[in-house]
Amino acid sequence: MAKKWGQLLKSWMTKNMELPQDVMMDLPRITMIGQIHIYIENHRGLLAFSDKEVRLLLEQGQLLIKGNAFVIKTILPEEILLEGKIDQVIYIT
Amino acid sequence: MKNQWLEFYKGIVKVRTSGRGIERFINMLTRDGISVWNVKSHGTHALTFEMKLEDAKKLRTYARKSECKIEFIKRKGLPFMQKRMLKNSGFLIGAIGFILVIFVLSNMVWGIEIKGANPATEYKMMKQLKEIGVKKGKLQFFIDTPEGIQRHLTNSIEEITWVGVELKGTTYHLQVVEKNEPEKPEYVSPQNLVAKKKGTIVGMFVEEGLPVVKINDFVKPGDLLVSGEMGNDVKVETVAAKGEVFAETWYKSDVSYPLKKTSQVYTGNEKIKHSLNFDLFRLPIWGFGKIGFEQYEVEENEKKFKFLKWELPISYVEKTYRESEQMTKVYDHKEAIEEAKKLARNKIKNDLGENVEIKGENVLHQAVDNGKVTLSIHFQIIENIAEGQPIIQGDTE
Repeated sequence: MAKKWGQLLKSWMTKNMELPQDVMMDLPRITMIGQIHIYIENHRGLLAFSDKEVRLLLEQGQLLIKGNAFVIKTILPEEILLEGKIDQVIYIT
Repeated sequence: MKNQWLEFYKGIVKVRTSGRGIERFINMLTRDGISVWNVKSHGTHALTFEMKLEDAKKLRTYARKSECKIEFIKRKGLPFMQKRMLKNSGFLIGAIGFILVIFVLSNMVWGIEIKGANPATEYKMMKQLKEIGVKKGKLQFFIDTPEGIQRHLTNSIEEITWVGVELKGTTYHLQVVEKNEPEKPEYVSPQNLVAKKKGTIVGMFVEEGLPVVKINDFVKPGDLLVSGEMGNDVKVETVAAKGEVFAETWYKSDVSYPLKKTSQVYTGNEKIKHSLNFDLFRLPIWGFGKIGFEQYEVEENEKKFKFLKWELPISYVEKTYRESEQMTKVYDHKEAIEEAKKLARNKIKNDLGENVEIKGENVLHQAVDNGKVTLSIHFQIIENIAEGQPIIQGDTE
């Protein structure tokens, strides 16, 4: 119950204080350049990686990226830059 | 994106991991601050990625924690390149050595050719050349300039009148003109000797012919001195009259000499600067600092570097700065007159040749004006006045 109250407080604060949501609510910020690059900040780790599918752990749920010829250009604890041909980005909650 | 150049300097390794839970392995690495890039998957249970060389040592411990096998498949970057270069350094050393050897050989003297000298003189010249360091196998930088060699040879060997020194590539070509070249037998047609100037005969030396004048005779130009017609009245034989007839002749010479004379003289102090000149800029090698002379003259001696047959735009320059001084000499009248006389004597000798004798001189007139001494001198000179004049057969009959 306490966690829920915290969540509510955060969303109220972002709404009323005009703070960026990804900072306040630990949401991923995803930047895509066409089909070829995807840059995800605020992820929580790599779950699965193959050249057709990448599964990332998020604070809430998972992110599934489908495509082909994936190469991880850079991976840092909370950031990942993926290159390849991206077909789908799916949230799994 | 990260700048990969820094990593390149420190070395990059490419790693292949296989086994279960490779994703966890990657997460573990990134969480501990080991940077990983270019992750590619190969099949379901294998990945390759690149990482820094300095992190590669820690990789073993992580691999043990997870159930992954690792192998290093590629090494890139400067440390590895250095290692490879060290291994293959023989080639590089060889190549540099080769160029160096060719460079040195291109700047050597490979031959000395002497033309126009007989063997004895040639031997002497070779000896002299060896003395000043011109011989086969010497580097050209340590050898005098062709002009210097020329000067040295003409000064030190008496047999040669002139020598042309030319450096063609790696060979010195010396063209010699010898003094004692066999003279061509001169065919002299029958001739008389006549006077070319007026004067009083003071002495005769007749080799061939019949002298027709006596000592103390006064002759005018064109007068017959020695006749080429010999023999008695019956039979006249014409010969080429030969000999010398000395006569006292007179010259008047006007000279002037300044009372104050300034001249440039070297004090003997000099400074030598060595430098390497590249196309545009010069690199001093030795002799730094200011020249420190108020007045000086510069002598530049440039030697080009050669490579095979080409001249490189690099040259070795030796500059000699010689301190000079303005010397002002003030003569009093007596001295100036003496100097003027000397000058006049030299002038006469220059005009008439060395083998004249000055018998006497009289100063006809002397004046000092405008800081100058003006002299008019009368010289009595003993010289050979004989001149050949061919006998034309038709005239005598």
